[in-house]
Amino acid sequence: MNDIVDTYSRKHVFYIAVGVILLLFITRLVQLQVIYQDVYGKKSEENSVRQIPRDPIRGYMFDHNGGLLVDNRPSYTVTITPVEFDVGTIDDLARILHIDGEFILDRVSKGKVHNRFAPAKIKRDIDFETLSFLEENLDRFPGVNYEIQSKRYYPTQAKAPHLFGYTKEISERQLQETGEPYSQGDLIGASGLEAAYERNLRGEEGVEFITVNAKGQVLGAYNNGKNDVPPQEGNDLFLTLDRDLQAFAESLLTNKHGAVVALDPSNGGVLALASKPDYDPMLFSGVTPSEVWTSLNADSGKPLFNRATLTRYPPGSAFKMVLAAAALQEEIISTSYRVQCTGTFQFGNKIHKDLHVHGSTNAVEAIQKSCNVFFYTVMLKTGLERWVRFAREFGFGSPTGIDIFEENPGLLPSEEYYDRVYGKGRWTQGYLVSLGIGQGEIGVSPIQMAGYAMVLANRGQYHQPHVAASVKNKSSGPMTRLQFPARTLNIKNEVWDILREGLYRCVNVPGGTGGGARVPGVVVGGKTGTAENPHGEDHAWFIGFAPFDNPRIAICVMVENAGFGGTFAAPIAGLCIEKYLYGALVRYRAPRPVAATQPEIPAQE
Amino acid sequence: MDTLLKEKLDIPTLSIVLLLVIIGLISMYSATYDAGASYYFQRQLLWTGIGLLLMVSVMLVPFRTLQLFSFPVYVVSLAFLLGVLVLGKTVAGAKSWYGFGTMGLQPAEFAKPATLLALAAYLSQRHVNVRRLKDLSIALSIVLLPVALIVAQPDLGTAIIYLGMIIPILYWAGASTFFLLAIVAPAAAVIAALFGTTAFVVVAILTFILFFALRENRFVSAIVFSITVLIGISVQFIYGKLQPYQQKRIVTFLNPEADPLGAGYNVIQSKIAIGSGGIFGKGFLHGTQTQLNFIPAQWTDFIFCVPGEEFGFFGALLILLLLAGLLIRGVQVASMVKNDYASIVAIGIVSTFAVHITVNIGMSMGLLPVIGVPLPFLSYGGSGLFTSMMMVGLLVNMYMNRKEY
Repeated sequence: MNDIVDTYSRKHVFYIAVGVILLLFITRLVQLQVIYQDVYGKKSEENSVRQIPRDPIRGYMFDHNGGLLVDNRPSYTVTITPVEFDVGTIDDLARILHIDGEFILDRVSKGKVHNRFAPAKIKRDIDFETLSFLEENLDRFPGVNYEIQSKRYYPTQAKAPHLFGYTKEISERQLQETGEPYSQGDLIGASGLEAAYERNLRGEEGVEFITVNAKGQVLGAYNNGKNDVPPQEGNDLFLTLDRDLQAFAESLLTNKHGAVVALDPSNGGVLALASKPDYDPMLFSGVTPSEVWTSLNADSGKPLFNRATLTRYPPGSAFKMVLAAAALQEEIISTSYRVQCTGTFQFGNKIHKDLHVHGSTNAVEAIQKSCNVFFYTVMLKTGLERWVRFAREFGFGSPTGIDIFEENPGLLPSEEYYDRVYGKGRWTQGYLVSLGIGQGEIGVSPIQMAGYAMVLANRGQYHQPHVAASVKNKSSGPMTRLQFPARTLNIKNEVWDILREGLYRCVNVPGGTGGGARVPGVVVGGKTGTAENPHGEDHAWFIGFAPFDNPRIAICVMVENAGFGGTFAAPIAGLCIEKYLYGALVRYRAPRPVAATQPEIPAQE
Repeated sequence: MDTLLKEKLDIPTLSIVLLLVIIGLISMYSATYDAGASYYFQRQLLWTGIGLLLMVSVMLVPFRTLQLFSFPVYVVSLAFLLGVLVLGKTVAGAKSWYGFGTMGLQPAEFAKPATLLALAAYLSQRHVNVRRLKDLSIALSIVLLPVALIVAQPDLGTAIIYLGMIIPILYWAGASTFFLLAIVAPAAAVIAALFGTTAFVVVAILTFILFFALRENRFVSAIVFSITVLIGISVQFIYGKLQPYQQKRIVTFLNPEADPLGAGYNVIQSKIAIGSGGIFGKGFLHGTQTQLNFIPAQWTDFIFCVPGEEFGFFGALLILLLLAGLLIRGVQVASMVKNDYASIVAIGIVSTFAVHITVNIGMSMGLLPVIGVPLPFLSYGGSGLFTSMMMVGLLVNMYMNRKEY
């Protein structure tokens, strides 16, 4: 530092600066408190304007044809305006509303700190009996009133609770963390689309201005309500969902544990996403009694759990195309490469079995007939690193990014994974063998598998799966299309030809395992999977798409603990495809229904 | 003993601060009287106690140790600022708190003295000359690093405090007026451009005159001046491209009263509170604006209108004089100490307090835009009070060691 030689003059600059600001502030004080004291004094005495927030109406949700899926119905919320409330009435009020007096007191005192003139929400969605009783006795309860609010209503058979999600009263923690204008008792999206698109759906709070005198009594509306800002309705969501297909998929899973995900291969839009067991979304639309929560949580069928995006099961043979793609693209094997399937495969001293003796088998036949020995052999040749790399390309091992928050990334066991679990050098290539047929330490979700079906349908084009297509702003009018990323897999055309030939034969040529997915008049391509699991029967999988040459739907069906994929999953996929492409089930209308409904007895895997 | 104590301790500073803290507690009690006064008041009382302890501890740290640990303390505070972005608790949309149960700490507050110390340690090195561009840039970076982390939270109010305090420090350390002008001019151009073309043209002309009056290298002057003008023009251009609602946000920020029932609501209520206090005030616990909490969370940033309303002009004037006295005393300490490091630390503390006071009271009286900045010693909040008390401790420490070289 060179000089504080001229500290003397610098010091005086600081003194002057402090002096100037002080003088400025004192002048302002004189102006406010001495010269205009009477003006401000009057303002503070006579009246003052207070703001009361007004809740907006939540946005609606529509399907891709503009059909209403998620609607609003009126609901009555009891409120207490802290400044007018008589604490002496608390016991009576608690009895009428069937809630704890302590709870009312807590709500009122919190509301008081925030804005003592704004009605604090005490109980949401009261029944009609309580409402009419309260209305008749309002004069007995000063400060108590009710507001008409809205609650969700689902007018169609497409309930999709896991997809739509639900709203909940904002928690104290959320209230503290959010930078948005929420107040106690407000609803906020808690899961599914309601949570993911909260900012769009919620709308904007309005403000009502009232006049209050110096004693804190409410005098009435300020300026005859001319300054009031009405709440702005939330934006509507237009979904990619197909209402009829969604309802149909849900009905097909009745009494089953499983999931159906159907995508539009041209853009990745979710046409249907069903997970069963589920729950009635109306349970969460008003106030959810704690008994309901407890029973839903305790239910062994886990109805709250979204099986379409949160499960992490091995995919079984449905995964075989990943290995075939890796081996063919990297030229580990050629199109003419054949394996002699003897029904067993020995690695070290462990013997892996196949269900059939397939004889000399190439890649197409191996997919068609789901030959395990072929894929065991190819897995060892291809190695873990390539397999993982291609599986990632197909969208496995990471979240798909679907626009609901609840998603399991799944598991792709890499070398590091094995090192971590078993210790470095303490695992062998033998661990990999079963990965080749989609067994072992691999975990995928139905949404990932549907994305994979879409890639196979599109010969490499991947679109991020999503449910919302566009958002409509009701006040300003325009519809905003939402953009989702897409990418193309770097795989040669000849490889797609082989994979797709296998998928074609699997469904349409005798000896294939996927005959159950056939649809009259439409060529379906697909692959079955039967995943062993330690907790009972195998999980049944099917992935597929149709029409084969110009796909309009890609689908994944997963049924837990059902058995063979060809028997239990493929027929569900076939029915969904038929319903979507024809708008109805045509097989029953066909002149010779027997021929059409009688699928080939699926070959065992 | 008495004279020794007088010799050692900085009695003027300590008595001013003590008075301010007491006035703060009285205001706090009144502001929260209805909203559970005991809760806020007791917590602030506890924090005052801890704050006094912190102040005394900082006073007693050996002067050389302080100097030696300036950089390490700075690095640690940066680490805390980085950490809060990851581990922080989100409050009102910003990640600026470490949460411990019902307590929370704001690292951006504690980083203020830490940044000051590091800046002072750097500027007081013999080979550093703030008239050199390189050294000036390093000095600026020491402040801009925490600013970047605080902007990321995002907490713009606190970031502005950091930026505001650096100019007086550099000036004190001997930076050329030209450099300082080159830093201030573009910022002034941005604000002026937002106010309108006339304001911008006035600022541009002023800048032009000042630049060439300083008789620095004409070429450099021309470049800096062009940059200033360019920034101003691009701000106006960007403003034109913004959505109407974004423009409205800027307008109400600069002039809250343009939106009397929205952003301007607090300011209008604050002015009513202060103005209606009159000369003698409405009396303790008798301020209607305060007692009916017309201003949400008045006990934080709008605390100044509580004494303004309840104790009137004389009450508010007393606070202004005490605050000004503290600043003047700080400048005196900065001029009397023999050691450069101590001098810069002292002037840094003065600058930090000055920016807080100006922004906060200016906002409460409707002279400046609404920026969420606490009033030192009066506003509710532990982190802010601790930091203020530690800075007072530092100031007294510098005074106690005024004869050291």
